[in-house]
Amino acid sequence: MTSLYPGFRYDADKEAISEARAKALESLLIEKGVITGKTVDQVLSYFDTEMGPFNGAKLVARAWVDPEFKKLLLEDCNAACEMLDLPNGMSGAEGEHMRIVENTADVHNVVVCTLCSCYPWPTLGLPPYWFKDPTFRARVVREPRVVLGEFGVQLSDSVNIRIWDSSAQIRWWVLPMRPEGTESLSEEELAKLLTPEAMMGVALVKAKSE
Amino acid sequence: MFTRFEHFAATSMMGSSEEAPPREDGHLQFDRDWEKLVFGVAIALSKEGHFEWDEFRQALMHNIKSWESSHELDDTSWDYYQCWMDALEQAVVRAGILEAGEIESCLRRHLDCKGEITRNESPFVSITGNVQPSTA
Repeated sequence: MTSLYPGFRYDADKEAISEARAKALESLLIEKGVITGKTVDQVLSYFDTEMGPFNGAKLVARAWVDPEFKKLLLEDCNAACEMLDLPNGMSGAEGEHMRIVENTADVHNVVVCTLCSCYPWPTLGLPPYWFKDPTFRARVVREPRVVLGEFGVQLSDSVNIRIWDSSAQIRWWVLPMRPEGTESLSEEELAKLLTPEAMMGVALVKAKSE
Repeated sequence: MFTRFEHFAATSMMGSSEEAPPREDGHLQFDRDWEKLVFGVAIALSKEGHFEWDEFRQALMHNIKSWESSHELDDTSWDYYQCWMDALEQAVVRAGILEAGEIESCLRRHLDCKGEITRNESPFVSITGNVQPSTA
């Protein structure tokens, strides 16, 4: 791309110009009443609070400590979202097709999807780069044990692996197994152990986050 | 099926790794404050109907493609939000919200305030020169 400002050649200048360009744009738009000083914060707060892996983590942590809630989460993900006072969008249109599947000592679940809109992002946030890679999806269906091994997940041969293909109808995500040695942890501490990868089934939850 | 524009806007960009904004652990990843600013402004303007989101995306993809065609793939000067900011300036001018000249003179004021940058006699090229993404 041709630089708009070819007179500046140094990185420090480039940074200063980028910052100034963004601020110039914002101040002009505010001056003209197109946006307000709060506009940007309002947009970003949506991403910070309304959707993200912290929502999924809260649901899983509660399910780990509360068997009744776990039953509800597995049967009716939306009802479970409502019980935890999660943002409105989660049990509304965006999240209405979410379903969660449970990892056990015998079954390990992995989710994949082919369309970007199928990712259960009210609970997992934005999908990682590799998730949309057709190679990843094809390989995880063909040789899940090998692919999981590459992610550092070693499963014994006795564990069945199930692959769930998310679609516009149902967005799957995973209820991981609670790691051993976490009996004394509170619900909040448990939630911190969870990662988007664990709730996609390509990682196991570790007792201590590293 | 989307209830929130923010959701729609971000999801629409997840189709290709080039177009999708940087992210980490399910969150948008911003390395510099101005990145948040241009991200938020672009979404807010389109949400308010000043320009179509798809129009902005096309401009962004055009900028990314032009960068890629003139740089090696492993070039470390790759800067996603630089392409984003270019696309935002272009969209704002095209939509008639601001004039290119206004942006330039406001930028000059901002840079002059900093007083630490030495410019050659003609540091600015016209923003309008970049406005229309080529259809190629």
